[in-house]
Amino acid sequence: MAEKISFHDQIARNRRKSFVLVVIVFIVLIVLGYAISFAFSPEYFTMIMIIATIFSIVYVLGTYYNSDKIALAGVKAKKADPVIHRALYHAIDNMAIASGMPKPRAYVMESKNINAFATGRDPQHAVICITTGALETLNKQELEGLIGHEMSHIANYDIRFITTIAVVVGAISIFSQIFLRSLWFGGGNRREGGNIIFFVIAIGLAILAPIIVKLVQLAISRKREFMADAGSVKLTRYPPGMINLLKKIKKETKSMKVPGAVAPMFFSATSKRKVAGLFQTHPPIDKRILVLEKM
Amino acid sequence: MLEWIILIVVIVFIAIIIFSYYNRFAVLQNRIENSFAQIDVQLRKRADLVPNLIESVKGFMKHEQKMIREVSEARKALVSAMPSKDMAKKMKAGDMLQNALKSVFAIAENYPNLKANENFLHLQNELSAIEDKIAYARQFYNDSILSYNNLFRTIPGKWFAGLFSKKARHYLEIPTAARATPKVKF
Repeated sequence: MAEKISFHDQIARNRRKSFVLVVIVFIVLIVLGYAISFAFSPEYFTMIMIIATIFSIVYVLGTYYNSDKIALAGVKAKKADPVIHRALYHAIDNMAIASGMPKPRAYVMESKNINAFATGRDPQHAVICITTGALETLNKQELEGLIGHEMSHIANYDIRFITTIAVVVGAISIFSQIFLRSLWFGGGNRREGGNIIFFVIAIGLAILAPIIVKLVQLAISRKREFMADAGSVKLTRYPPGMINLLKKIKKETKSMKVPGAVAPMFFSATSKRKVAGLFQTHPPIDKRILVLEKM
Repeated sequence: MLEWIILIVVIVFIAIIIFSYYNRFAVLQNRIENSFAQIDVQLRKRADLVPNLIESVKGFMKHEQKMIREVSEARKALVSAMPSKDMAKKMKAGDMLQNALKSVFAIAENYPNLKANENFLHLQNELSAIEDKIAYARQFYNDSILSYNNLFRTIPGKWFAGLFSKKARHYLEIPTAARATPKVKF
């Protein structure tokens, strides 16, 4: 019962957080725009703000509705073939039935590593993408564990949340980049029109905002993984499948080459390099195994 | 004036609570019916594939007439149970057919020609995939009943259940064979 409540709470919380995030992005963009325009030339304030607002609306809506296509294109994924990738379709069918959710579309990407990710804005527009390495090396129970994990991300609305966060991180770093680069061109000689304090604030914001948002994104995506692991076991009722899957991934040594924005969406860390806890995209595999073994 | 406002607020509040509980019962009931339909679909698919299977094994298994008859009788029993609303009865017929099919697949091991037959292999794969799907559909059915009964048995859901005259639902029993942990092959 407690589990059921937290499950539904989680969905509501994710939806609310996604909304709040979008609002925060607009505020950050406006503050950034405000600071930038004061730093350069207050007389162009309205025009800069109008451009910034239009740009951010187009950017946020565009990426929100096309996030799945962008992510799939980023990793060069292809639509799964019902005959060649029969095992994948079976696993997806089974997990969709077990969770009572619509079937997500299935995609396959080239990689020797075992990995997968889910994307889309809601369960009706969800996509699961899996590596060829996973299809070649996993047995049925492990594959269902992997798909069950992605299915829980979809059911929890993690995919929407993670997508909005990626959009936010993208938007803020674009704005910061534009601003910081503009400093190279004529920023100095026009300073008499602007305010030196705003100038310093703008530089500080432009440098700090992307880092802070990135750290928040990573912290959130690490937490989601434990939830989805538990959700997967709830669907398969078979923890050893997940544990064996994680053990197989642990043996891998080569990193996957994927765009940085997509990396936190994957089932397990795409980079095998050791990084400090705060900058990890995923919780350590040993910790995930430990949690599963306690179930 | 203030008393009226308080009264209206209280009435609206109560109405919202009643509506939301009514809707929660409706949503959970729909989920149960939907999962019921899922099992139905898979059972029907199983029944539909069996004639093809019989057709493909007939030529090879000349000495297993009794077994083939058992399969087709189990199928008949399932088909006649399908229109029934009683899921336990349907599941029982489905399990009977599943067991009959299992013995066909076991005996097929003795017929190398049959095992090399593509059509037979395809049907065998399809039928075992359906077996998985039925197991998962049944699990989701029981999960849906769990959510419904949780709402039904806890306060304040319990009071509203009385108000809307709702009844508790029963779980589907899972046969002992299916309950055993699946063996992992390495």
